Amino acid sequence: MTMTQPQLNPPLAAWPDADDPVVLEDVTLAYGATIALADASLRLPTGAVVGLAGSNGAGKSSLIRCLLGLTLPQSGRIRLLGEDPLELSDAARARLGYVPQTPELIEWMKVEQHLDYIGAFYPGWDAARVAHWCREWSLDPRQKVVGLSLGQKQKLSLLLALGHAPQLLVLDEPVASLDPLMRREFMRTLFDQAPERTALISSHLLSDLERVITHLVLMKNGRVLLVDEWDALNENLRRVVSPTRLPSGPGVLAQRTSSEDTTAVIDTRQFPLSDLPSGARQVMAMNLDELFVELMS
Amino acid sequence: MLFDINPSAAVPIYRQIIEQVRRMVAGGLLKPGDELPSVRRVAAQHAVNPMTVSKAYSLLEAEGLAMRQRGVGMVIAQRQPVRELPDRLELLRPSLQAAAQHARQLEIPVRDALALFKNELQGDKQ
Repeated sequence: MTMTQPQLNPPLAAWPDADDPVVLEDVTLAYGATIALADASLRLPTGAVVGLAGSNGAGKSSLIRCLLGLTLPQSGRIRLLGEDPLELSDAARARLGYVPQTPELIEWMKVEQHLDYIGAFYPGWDAARVAHWCREWSLDPRQKVVGLSLGQKQKLSLLLALGHAPQLLVLDEPVASLDPLMRREFMRTLFDQAPERTALISSHLLSDLERVITHLVLMKNGRVLLVDEWDALNENLRRVVSPTRLPSGPGVLAQRTSSEDTTAVIDTRQFPLSDLPSGARQVMAMNLDELFVELMS
Repeated sequence: MLFDINPSAAVPIYRQIIEQVRRMVAGGLLKPGDELPSVRRVAAQHAVNPMTVSKAYSLLEAEGLAMRQRGVGMVIAQRQPVRELPDRLELLRPSLQAAAQHARQLEIPVRDALALFKNELQGDKQ
């Protein structure tokens, strides 16, 4: 499927709040000849729960790592909780929770030891809440980390990020190894603590994202392809089958032409259905799974 | 009272909630003064974002269908906006649109789809 000019929608300038907890502008990161991020821009308002989706290698983890100052991009501007991520203050650190793609745990500790150890770094650590979740999530505090399954390790990793009730949660594939019930449970936990919490969640589990996100970010080939409120995308993006190709331009997000017809994804805010050529048919709304397939393939 | 929410439907969750309340009020299943479940409860039950539920409730309030009552939460308003047949038909439109989409996907001829719908309508009366 050929992509038209990447759309940043709404444009960065449309978000008025300068105190947005996450700001990336024109971030470029390359490993040798491999481009991981190409002028990636993203700005998230406070309280947004953002799903970060894209194929493997689209740049999701790179974007997260640059945002957190774990990887230094070649160019671009980044603000994390209003600060330079490379010189993050303790105050900002206390407001941030991060779950890496692969749990980074101290293997020889017991679960409770590990929780206490990390908890001691945070003045706002909620030990009672953490103990409660341990029980709810069937995570045995007395077990050694080294003996935990990958799913159990992921639970511990989540608790380590949630224990201090962070205002910004950054989750890189946080629940890939958890069963559906546990994932549902985790989604509830997201909203348990801080009402104005901002969350950036990278995941391939789109049906999980659909439940909780306010915004969707789609990445492809190191670029941020689409940013918008998920409800607005749900209501305005349509898949159509047209006898002819649509004029490329604003509102036409993708089209794929076969010998018989063209399948396109349009944004009806910019490309009204009345502008479709005659003979266009099968105007369909899409869930996240379907949208992903149409825009990524 | 429970909402039927399908997060993977192509209809936004907040809209699913609004449409259900509208239908239940129009059909008399929800009566003036009836309480809607709390935002927190709906969110926890379906593991959805509380903001989405709030958004639905606020829109229902703006529409005049529900109102916030102190100490109780959201209740169905005493005086309901009068709904004439065209309005009620509009309420039916979203579910028919979804059904039409399914029928097209399944390549069911229009005549057969209409016959099936007619059948369903009459089945309800029995």
